[in-house]
Amino acid sequence: MSRQVNQSRQVDRHRGGTLSRRSFLAGSAAMVALGAAGCAPAARAGGGVTLRFYEQKQEVLAYFDDLLRRFEKERGGVTVVHDSTVAIAPQFVRNEPADVGCFNDNLELARYIKRGVLGDLSDLPSAHTVRTDIGELTDQYATYPGRTSVLPYSLAAAGVIYNKKIFRDHDLPVPETWSQFVDVCEELSRAGVTPIYATDRDTWTLWQGLFDYSVGSLVAPGEFFRRLKELGTDVGPDSEVSFEKDFAVPMERAKTISSYFNPDHAVRAYADGNLAFGKGEAAMYLQGPWALGQIALVDPDLEIGTFPLPVSENPDDRQARVNIDLGLWIPTASPHQDEARELVEFLMRPDIINAYNSDNLAYSTLQDAPPQQDERLAGLQEYVDRAAFYQGAGTFVPTSIPLGNYLQAAIRSGNFEGMLRQLDADWRRLAGRGATV
Amino acid sequence: MTHRTSATTLYRRKSYRRGSYRRERRVDRVYYLFLVPTLLVFTAFVVIPALIGIFYSLTDYVGFGEWSFLGLSNYAALFSDPRILEAYGFTLGFAVVTVVVAQVIALALAVALTRRIRFATTLRTVFVIPMVVSGIVVAYVFNFLFSNSLPAIATAVGFGPLEESILGNPDLAWLSIVIVSAWQTIPGALLVYTAGLTSIPTDLYEASALDGASPWRQFRSVTVPLIAGFILINTILGVKGYLGVYDVIVGLTGGGPGTATSSVAMTIFGGFTGGDYAYQMANATVFLVVTALISVAQIIATRGRAVRL
Repeated sequence: MSRQVNQSRQVDRHRGGTLSRRSFLAGSAAMVALGAAGCAPAARAGGGVTLRFYEQKQEVLAYFDDLLRRFEKERGGVTVVHDSTVAIAPQFVRNEPADVGCFNDNLELARYIKRGVLGDLSDLPSAHTVRTDIGELTDQYATYPGRTSVLPYSLAAAGVIYNKKIFRDHDLPVPETWSQFVDVCEELSRAGVTPIYATDRDTWTLWQGLFDYSVGSLVAPGEFFRRLKELGTDVGPDSEVSFEKDFAVPMERAKTISSYFNPDHAVRAYADGNLAFGKGEAAMYLQGPWALGQIALVDPDLEIGTFPLPVSENPDDRQARVNIDLGLWIPTASPHQDEARELVEFLMRPDIINAYNSDNLAYSTLQDAPPQQDERLAGLQEYVDRAAFYQGAGTFVPTSIPLGNYLQAAIRSGNFEGMLRQLDADWRRLAGRGATV
Repeated sequence: MTHRTSATTLYRRKSYRRGSYRRERRVDRVYYLFLVPTLLVFTAFVVIPALIGIFYSLTDYVGFGEWSFLGLSNYAALFSDPRILEAYGFTLGFAVVTVVVAQVIALALAVALTRRIRFATTLRTVFVIPMVVSGIVVAYVFNFLFSNSLPAIATAVGFGPLEESILGNPDLAWLSIVIVSAWQTIPGALLVYTAGLTSIPTDLYEASALDGASPWRQFRSVTVPLIAGFILINTILGVKGYLGVYDVIVGLTGGGPGTATSSVAMTIFGGFTGGDYAYQMANATVFLVVTALISVAQIIATRGRAVRL
């Protein structure tokens, strides 16, 4: 993506004239120079410091570009290059990580936290403005003793996206208990409306939605996986916790939910789902806020709401699935610690972080942050406010266990118990060769 | 011209001095120089990375940072991992089926196209088109056909078994991968067979026809023995290619439904993103050995019967 930006800059430079060979060569040289500046952390431009800022979330590349330009102007003497390469691993493999990273806080980032390559940010003033219940979420994946390795920047909350018009037309309430949810699905089926649109072909959509939502309000994933890790190779049907035992009820829910899927769910992909839901072909969709932009492209006026999936008979059990969509970190290997910290402080400024989150369908991580104003997400606000949330169980499963594929098979065969036994066996095997996260 | 003369002179003088037949057949050293760039590039970008990878398969390396030496425990874990064994079973079975399907169709097409049928040149061009289209593109197009068009047609004509997409059926999904892989690789094999068939002298067919051989007998006793070398090379290249199947699966089934169509290459690649680097390096090493053994076995099995390559 940064390459594309460079190219467009080059095109701008030559707009209005034919591209001569000399100007082409000059342009190429400029591109090479820009590229080199992007690769070498120690590169200096005009005597000032050049920072490399890593952020690769497609939807907000331009947004962060603007923020970086603002920082350059306000700070003076510092140039920030926006690194948006897709993979995070190569920069650490080369031992040339970006000076500041802004990345999804997940198991992948946890590997870097655990090995201590991300520096401590606890002494930054902004570190104390972050909500502690959100800060604790990052510790569920991995910690490094005595360090705050990541400052949560943006919290995304997900639940069941529903088509308000379909609900209104069939006079259906937003379900608050499991039996109400099943009733809603039954009524929709009877009326010939697809209750839930699922996209099995993109297997991540299965664990993100069906699996995580079914588990999260019944079993606290952070705690479950902490104990599972302690057990290691001892995980089995008789151990203190296990997939087979603890996830049995959640997977009964998942099995029931999957019976309300669109008939062709097995061969539908994520893009098909956004299109179909945007066209009003289904009442509900187990997706997160990231899908809303795509759905709006299909029908910008579609009335959409979100509610957390109820999986028990007690409405108070309901929780929202959240993830730290972006977190800020500074690798210990960065030679520009001071400037990097200045950039982090700049991005953490309440006016900037709160504006970013309200502009991008997310929640600010600061204490006393203003609520998310978007209608489509209003149904989740109270859950975020009172920290009634969990990080999806699927995000704790290492990618060496193909959870999405297992779900695909289980939905087809209905054998969710077999899948849970398989997960226990896979977990034992991973623990046996010391290959956790 | 000058260079060639001097080289020849050198060749003659040396052979005269040494006097033996073997020495006379000796090639000019300059030809060895031609190999140097390739050898350098091959060593730098294939041999050395492979050796590094094999080394890391003996450790718990995750791709960066510290690591410690584990010995053979990754290999021990590998051979008791049902998912890995399943991937090997699938990949080998898939390679055997696809190579047979692709070779039979390619040979049949080549035989037809080398006869003086109408539009042979046009048809040959049409048949070769799949070869120039990227695998992932082909896979996505077929994905659409299998998910939408085929079930729609089956429903319209009331053909039950195909009304549900075969991509969603764990027992049939592998067929889609065979079909697309074969479709994509037949043109290459077809070109090789066409070259082989045109190299057979026509008088052999005339002679056998005079002896009363039927077209089938001609095919068995003249065509097949004379293109055996081409069959061998197509089979070896085909199996080698099918063993590494990756992009077609990613575009069609993503390894699913479940893990029904996960190939070895897919499990290896999964290790890079999953923090399972060293373990999958062990897998890659085993796969390298398996692939090499299969190729050697093919060559030995067909030696003598095949025309020298």
